[in-house]
Amino acid sequence: MKILVCVKQVYDSPDTLVFNESSGRVEFGSHTVFRMNRYDEYAVEEALRIRERITGVAVDAVSVGPDRVRKTIRRALEMGADHGIHIRTGCETDLDPLERAHLIASLARGRRYDLILTGVMAEDDMQSQVGGLLAGILGFTCATGIISLEMHGNPREILLEREIEGGRRECLTLGFPCVLTIQSGINTPRYPSLSHVLRARSEELELIEAPSPAPSPPLLSVKRFLLPEEGEKGEIITGTPGEKAARLLSILREHSLL
Amino acid sequence: MIETRCYVIALHDNGRVAEETYETAAFARRYVAADPCVVVLSGGGEIEPLAGRLADRTGLTVIGLAGDIVREYCAEAYTASLISFLRKKGNAFVCIPHTARGIDFAPQLSVGIGACCITAVEGAGEGTFIRSVYSGRFRSEVRPETPSAVLTVMPGAFKPEKGAMQGPGSVKIVPLRAFELSTKTRGTREAVHANMTLSRAEVVVSAGRGLGSAENLRLVEMLSGIFPKSAIGATRGVCDLGWLDYSHQIGTTGNTVAPRLYLACGISGAVQHVSGMKNSQLIVAINTDPDASIFRTAHFGIVEDLKVFIPLLVDMYREKHGDGDA
Ligand SMILES: Cc1cc2nc3c(=O)[nH]c(=O)nc-3n(C[C@H](O)[C@H](O)[C@H](O)COP(=O)(O)OP(=O)(O)OC[C@H]3O[C@@H](n4cnc5c(N)ncnc54)[C@H](O)[C@@H]3O)c2cc1C
Ligand SMILES: Nc1ncnc2c1ncn2[C@@H]1O[C@H](COP(=O)(O)O)[C@@H](O)[C@H]1O
Repeated sequence: MKILVCVKQVYDSPDTLVFNESSGRVEFGSHTVFRMNRYDEYAVEEALRIRERITGVAVDAVSVGPDRVRKTIRRALEMGADHGIHIRTGCETDLDPLERAHLIASLARGRRYDLILTGVMAEDDMQSQVGGLLAGILGFTCATGIISLEMHGNPREILLEREIEGGRRECLTLGFPCVLTIQSGINTPRYPSLSHVLRARSEELELIEAPSPAPSPPLLSVKRFLLPEEGEKGEIITGTPGEKAARLLSILREHSLL
Repeated sequence: MIETRCYVIALHDNGRVAEETYETAAFARRYVAADPCVVVLSGGGEIEPLAGRLADRTGLTVIGLAGDIVREYCAEAYTASLISFLRKKGNAFVCIPHTARGIDFAPQLSVGIGACCITAVEGAGEGTFIRSVYSGRFRSEVRPETPSAVLTVMPGAFKPEKGAMQGPGSVKIVPLRAFELSTKTRGTREAVHANMTLSRAEVVVSAGRGLGSAENLRLVEMLSGIFPKSAIGATRGVCDLGWLDYSHQIGTTGNTVAPRLYLACGISGAVQHVSGMKNSQLIVAINTDPDASIFRTAHFGIVEDLKVFIPLLVDMYREKHGDGDA
């Protein structure tokens, strides 16, 4: 069985992003640190657990992006993935989800993956789309928000639970090939072991250049970025820490909470 | 207004229409087309009452796609059935609630009908749609460059219209073709994490990843200790780290609470968290980051390190009130 895990590199913390007023774009500040999208760590871990339970499973990890994303592919190898693939794009900014999905799909098409895993959502663009788009392009079935996954023996199908509102779960069985988007909490992602870290260091990443410009024009254009809408903003309590604490206590007392 | 053909996909569970369907219909009427059609998929027995209820409440034309294949929700059956229905209709905007089910089939559907896909829409401009990006820190305004689009509409972002203005809409039932599915649905399981203590508490003190470590949970416990009838809540992030078990989780995929006081400690304010606590009577947030989204939900915000501020607050309370049983 062949598994492809899609891993996206995202900023570690959104407070390092800066809004460039003149261009209307959001840029990475000089202190921005990058890491693997949290939900993708759960996807990598789940792929590795499948490999541990079933013989003859190979796990590839792929990321689409500029050269810096190689570190995130390496992280997947350090966790234990067998092979890393970098689909290199020229630009620092993110492609739209469909372009990313097309790039991953054109890789997957020739390689006969039985199972493709993605995270349930990327923390940066929050689209929750790439998995479903991949399924649509490749003609695979798809289930999202997977919180439990079981396979037995020489599997022809997978038992799944997907999480819906209020923590309820939908139970289903899927045949292969399929795309699953993995929800956090399905497992506890492992910390890379020293032996895997050493092996990953000597492992070559496969490099695929994304065609530029993209073969089909994007279906979407981003007009501009905006700051969040100013709601009826609450009051920020100011002063020294002591003054803030005193004010908060008096507010709580006014509301008869203390 | 875009003035194109427009379809709103209704979602339902156990014979009940999801409220988000009405919000999505209101969005569609306001920003996409004056007279969208509502499409509902279900099995033979259930389709007529569902379609009737939708027509009564929205006043819109309702098309019921009926067949055993969609008797239970199934992404594969929804996608294929909607693709074959929509392909005959030409260019259209399709609006779907951004719920766990809506987002489960929307992207595949967009590929199948050659549309662009815009998820979690929470606003609209002149032919553009607005959605949150970068952990909610910014919004982006996007424009579809295709004549067809699939939009998923954020729950809570638009208010449903009050009652049908023009009387009940008409209903048309269209039978669906059966086909072989690779998916087998096996029903739903109730939440394992429902927590009565949380839903009954008058005060909920909630922990976020900003706690830094499981040891710092004692700070949240200490703070909760000064209130009678209080309980401890958490973000999914905290539960994923194993600092608290999932019965404490608050948000879309956890518990929903509306206590008299909600104290958010080290919580960024992701929409999925906020939707589970935004109806609390008084919301106070403590966060080191002055730009954290939680300050847009909170009535009172305190920009401080919780490791310093919580002990200070509790000490000050105890000095005034004596040690008591706190
Ligand atoms: C389908 C789906 C469903 C989800 N359902 C839920 C749900 O039901 N509930 C839920 O909570 N989440 C849910 N999430 C996850 C959600 O998107 C966020 O990732 C999560 O809520 C973030 O948790 P957090 O605020 O604890 O962590 P973070 O976002 O990491 O925020 C930590 C905050 O702590 C602050 N901080 C750091 N240090 C300190 C300090 N010393 N003192 C004070 N503040 C500090 C930081 O400034 C930051 O704002 C869901 C996500 C998806 C995709
Ligand atoms: N540039 C990328 N490279 C690899 N995988 C990606 C990329 N973008 C998105 N994905 C995958 O798709 C999931 C959902 O992303 P999104 O649709 O952007 O929210 C992520 O969790 C990743 O698994």
